[in-house]
Amino acid sequence: MSRAKPQSAPVSRPQPASFRESGTGSERLRLLRSQIAGIEAANLAMLPSGETPRARIPLGHTGLDRMLVGGLKPGALHEIVAARPGDHPAAASFALALATRLKAARNRGSIVWIGEDFAGLEQGALYGPGLAHHGIDPACFLLVHAASAKEALWAMEEALKCRAPAAVMGEIWTAKAYDLAASRRLVLAAQKNATPGLLFLAGLAGADALSSGADTRFEVGAWPSAHLASAARRLPLPGSAAWSIRIAKARAGPTGFDRDKVHPVFWTEACFRDALSLPLAAIPGDGPDHPAGEFGEAKRRALGP
Amino acid sequence: MAKQSAERLDHRLATIAKIKNAQRLVAVDQEAAARGLKPGMALADARAILPGLRCFAADAAGEAATLAAIADWCRRFTPLAALDPPDGVMLDITGAAHLFGGEAKLLVEIETRLASQGFAALAGLGPAPEAAWALVRFGKDRLLPSDCAEQEIARRLGALPLAALRLDEKTLADLSQAGLRRIGDILLRPRAPLAARFSSSLFERLDALFGRLKTPISPRFEAPAYLAERRFAEPISRRECVEATIFALAQELAQILARHGEGARRLDVSLFGVDGTVKHMLAGTSRPLRDPKTIARLFREKIEAASASAENDPLDAGFGFDVLRLSALAVERQDEEQANWLAPAGTQDLADLIDRLGARLGLRRVTRLTLVDRHWPEFAVTAVPASFSPSAIPPLQGEGGRAAAGWGTRRNAESRRTPSDSGAALRCHLPLAGEGHRPIRLLSRPEPIETIASVPDGPPVRFRWRRVLHEIAAIEGPERIAPEWWKNEAPLTRDYFRAEDSEGRRFWLFREGLYETERPRWFMHGLFA
Repeated sequence: MSRAKPQSAPVSRPQPASFRESGTGSERLRLLRSQIAGIEAANLAMLPSGETPRARIPLGHTGLDRMLVGGLKPGALHEIVAARPGDHPAAASFALALATRLKAARNRGSIVWIGEDFAGLEQGALYGPGLAHHGIDPACFLLVHAASAKEALWAMEEALKCRAPAAVMGEIWTAKAYDLAASRRLVLAAQKNATPGLLFLAGLAGADALSSGADTRFEVGAWPSAHLASAARRLPLPGSAAWSIRIAKARAGPTGFDRDKVHPVFWTEACFRDALSLPLAAIPGDGPDHPAGEFGEAKRRALGP
Repeated sequence: MAKQSAERLDHRLATIAKIKNAQRLVAVDQEAAARGLKPGMALADARAILPGLRCFAADAAGEAATLAAIADWCRRFTPLAALDPPDGVMLDITGAAHLFGGEAKLLVEIETRLASQGFAALAGLGPAPEAAWALVRFGKDRLLPSDCAEQEIARRLGALPLAALRLDEKTLADLSQAGLRRIGDILLRPRAPLAARFSSSLFERLDALFGRLKTPISPRFEAPAYLAERRFAEPISRRECVEATIFALAQELAQILARHGEGARRLDVSLFGVDGTVKHMLAGTSRPLRDPKTIARLFREKIEAASASAENDPLDAGFGFDVLRLSALAVERQDEEQANWLAPAGTQDLADLIDRLGARLGLRRVTRLTLVDRHWPEFAVTAVPASFSPSAIPPLQGEGGRAAAGWGTRRNAESRRTPSDSGAALRCHLPLAGEGHRPIRLLSRPEPIETIASVPDGPPVRFRWRRVLHEIAAIEGPERIAPEWWKNEAPLTRDYFRAEDSEGRRFWLFREGLYETERPRWFMHGLFA
């Protein structure tokens, strides 16, 4: 879905001679519009296979996409925070799922993952076999380990300025280092080449008071997965990943959207499945003979729209 | 060329050490030497000759470090500088002397520069390393130009005492008993009887002295493949000047590299300070590189990283630098690339990013994950520095490319065979049955947890991890992973469980050890999405 008005029209573009002579305001407006259309058309021609500039990337989950007016904006910063203190692994993996989604939509090879060392100590490092098991190709990750939040933010800024990464994921523990100015720097870097930035604030739990230049903020919590009955009346088997997502901030969201609404999202759902580059691991009851997301669907229906 | 370091603050100094159960002099300064003190003399004798002698304990490690620093500083004259312990540095100045206005001027420059740093140093020059060694220690005129006639060389070297041959003391004493004192004395005598009577090494040394036998020096550092350097009449110290100079040098180096069709993989900037300090900045690249802007940018990141610790003076310039050298330590073939504007966003771009991040944070902090064919969870994956692997750049995008993105598992071996198929086809493959779940994040080391189980050998019903109690709502397992028993010190067998607590958090737990034999303990090892 392309937007009529671009976020930033290039300033130093040579203006046509007729522009200066144009008299009335409406005439001027018309000229500007045609100029912008020309720029957009030029950009389109340069981009590979049907990628439109500043198009939003849908998540494939209707509830979330409606709130986000079509999806995530590429040249912007999106924050992810955990809802409660124990929900950090869930939030981190949701950020990964978003990154995979962006990678599939943008047709680029690499995801740059930047982590502060302390966050890795606290929550463990990304585990290759596990990523592969969840359908994410670990070979596409470029991992950057930063000693401090300051370095991590700098590395994120550098990576965002690049055209090559499909998405830049940051994991920052020291939330103090991330303020309005830091977020603005990241946003400006992201706008440069329309590279999306995902920032996981690992040291926070709930961040309603935080003010930043980010486009979106997801508050992610753990959500019980679709359990599967086990034999002999023992405890059931856990299903695959699930999250409860609350969109705490959406810059372009529809007026008066419900900030407190919690959306349960399941890993096996079509929205993330499409994006995965590797086959998903077999979870009990989730094979070719059981359509994907069956249990997720059931649960969601039970919870309401 | 040799140097003798001495203290400049005061006169009549000596360093002493305990040799053969007595305090003996190790080194003496000029004034003490003029009064007849010699290294090896007992301290009591020395004090008797010179009551005002000031003594310091010899610091062998410190002296060696100083000598190494001097050798490094000498690399400003030639890239090939070798240590000649205990008190010398050997430089191979082949083809370098003309840069300093000839051999004589080079010697003067070396001596004056070292004197200004507070070293009492002598420099000598000869056609062979042994000749230079002999001349600087025993010669009256320490310069033996390379364009000398052969008779002249023989005359000059023949005038040196036999000690200049670096013979052991016994041979030397025997020779002097036979009335042979100078090198000229043995030059014209028949060799066989002398070699039979004294030692065969006598003539080896003699041949080395005259350059008939090659005695290579072993430089402290390899000579770089290509280098570019700037010398300044006035030292520079400001960061901007240094950065601008590095850029100018990078442009020069790029031309040299382009001419040879090569690109640099490892680069070094050496900053030679006027006070004798040498600073190095090393930068590695993930691919052959010769673009001057990118090279300059790498070093800007290095300086920036240093400025995090020293805000005002990241280079620690001191009195300034008067020589800047940019050298390509390792090069690889680099062919010109054809520009392709239709290609998707460049892999070049990513390689630049890897280099820049590596320059600032350290190359080992920018990694890629590589699977290892081992089943023990901790060893199943390694992080390889992104700039070290030859295939640092992943294959181009697209469905096929994605499938073949170098993921060498059994699982993908099948999918790789059909790279042209779409992603939908790939998804039809199911991973091998029986392969257990693996978490998205693995803790750096398993953390012990307290568990309560309903039956002793059953899975837990609740556990406490990091002081939080979790009620287990769903659990799957065990997946038994046996240690690599063929290795030494194999750990205990682990039974892994995938557990979900009542709030929907998923964990990877394991029980270490078997119930029958060991007393098992429980650990938290990983976290699921």
